[in-house]
Amino acid sequence: MCGIAGYLDKRTASAPVGNVLLGMLEALGKRGPDSAGLALMGPTPDSREVCWICLPEDRDLESAVDVALDLVKSVARVRDHRVSGGMVRLEIARQCDVVEFCRRVEDPRHGLEIVSLGKNLELVKQVGSPRNLAHALDVRRFKGSHGIGHTRLSTESKVDLSHSQPFWARGVPDLATVHNGHITNYHRLRRIYEQKGVRFFTENDSEVIGVYLADQMSAGRSLEEAMVRSLQDLDGSFTYLVATPDLLGYARDPFALKPLITVETDGYVAIANEEVAIRAALGTDGVAHEPSGNVHRIWSRARQAALA
Amino acid sequence: MSPARNPVIDCAGRSTRDINRDIRASLGPGRRVKVRNPAARHNLGVALLSPGAVGFEGSVGYYCGGMNDGATVTVNGSAGWGVAEGMLSGTVEVAGNAGNGAAASIRGGLVVVKGDCAARAGVSMKGGLLLIGGDAGYMTAFMMQRGTIVIVGNAGHALADSMYEGVVYVGGEIESLGNDAVVKAPSRSDRQAIAAALEEHHIPVPKRLKKVVSGRKLWNFEHAELETWRAAL
Repeated sequence: MCGIAGYLDKRTASAPVGNVLLGMLEALGKRGPDSAGLALMGPTPDSREVCWICLPEDRDLESAVDVALDLVKSVARVRDHRVSGGMVRLEIARQCDVVEFCRRVEDPRHGLEIVSLGKNLELVKQVGSPRNLAHALDVRRFKGSHGIGHTRLSTESKVDLSHSQPFWARGVPDLATVHNGHITNYHRLRRIYEQKGVRFFTENDSEVIGVYLADQMSAGRSLEEAMVRSLQDLDGSFTYLVATPDLLGYARDPFALKPLITVETDGYVAIANEEVAIRAALGTDGVAHEPSGNVHRIWSRARQAALA
Repeated sequence: MSPARNPVIDCAGRSTRDINRDIRASLGPGRRVKVRNPAARHNLGVALLSPGAVGFEGSVGYYCGGMNDGATVTVNGSAGWGVAEGMLSGTVEVAGNAGNGAAASIRGGLVVVKGDCAARAGVSMKGGLLLIGGDAGYMTAFMMQRGTIVIVGNAGHALADSMYEGVVYVGGEIESLGNDAVVKAPSRSDRQAIAAALEEHHIPVPKRLKKVVSGRKLWNFEHAELETWRAAL
């Protein structure tokens, strides 16, 4: 199953998105309690970037953090760092491009994995139900404009932090995805991307969606164009959500095999597998609508602001 | 003490089993049961086997009104997947939109969705009537066997794919027909019957109607129809 949720506040960039999305995920928790995570879009106070790194489980936390700091400092200035639930969050000023940054920090000898990179994106996840996420990380107080969340029922790959969602679209700063379904041509796609030099960090088929979008965008396509093409190029059942600093969007497979509900009011856009999540977190406003298959849609904050 | 004639049941903080037990105990000829705070929860009002009215004051989740046999269920909101699935008789009316598989496999009764239906509405219908006030999504009426579906708005791709029998009427555009689905002109009496059914539920009657029926080429395997079979399978 898996539960996915998205929320965009049309009126303010300091909405309680963390709290809203957690409320939605808790209502969806029965769709999968294996792990939970959020990709939240926050404000940009200055030119720094935020990088979340997943630490290796097979070494003690202190030395793992030291290794992470050493590696990051070889390619960026580190302004701040904080350890949080098996991950370390760093505020950095990068001194090389994203590809080189990832290559250096993710040196296979040290077992680090970059979970997210971007100016606005905060990506937190952990093993266990959404309720645990609320205890471990201070997302209830997070203020921002929009975000996406995931609660996982693992069906094909192992349960650990690395295999949890959301996934950063590796290589594209500030782009995150969550997915409900199965990508049945995952192995074929993975082989093609690995031959192109892409490194996969999990055996989770959902990881390939971000890789696919990043690959399409590197060929000069917009995110929306990439999403449209994905409806044909990804096989299987999928409803996936995307978030960038400006956009919240969804794409759904041609057979409409996984549920997707949207509620849009003057104040917000809410997306979830089940309406129950939207009612639990946001009350009774707005009419729920389920799109048909082979569809995508994006909401732009800039466009909302222009309309207001 | 006899149960109240118009009881009110509040879903907040209660288990689905308790709520459904209360609805069933309160239902009976001439009774009107109000259900507050349904909050889009799943499996509300399933297997109601006696006459009477149940009104949900808000959205419901999956399978509301499923296996209904005689009750009149109204939803003042939207419905999730499989609303009225497997219904035998009675009425299920949704004021908003419905998710995938609305009226799936119903054998009788009436399902009214005032708004849109997502994919596969009326899949494997074996009788009854489904009225859709808005648009219907992908593969509506897939493998339909009997009964009638009316789509006032537009129909998505693969409409009435591999239907055995039954009739689908469409007021708007058909994105594409499914395998072995055939468009015919409706008769005057067809149009009158559809208009009467829609008017009874305050749904505007479309100016034009297309009638979609089975071409019956997939009923029995014929070597001459090999290409049709290849496409269908």
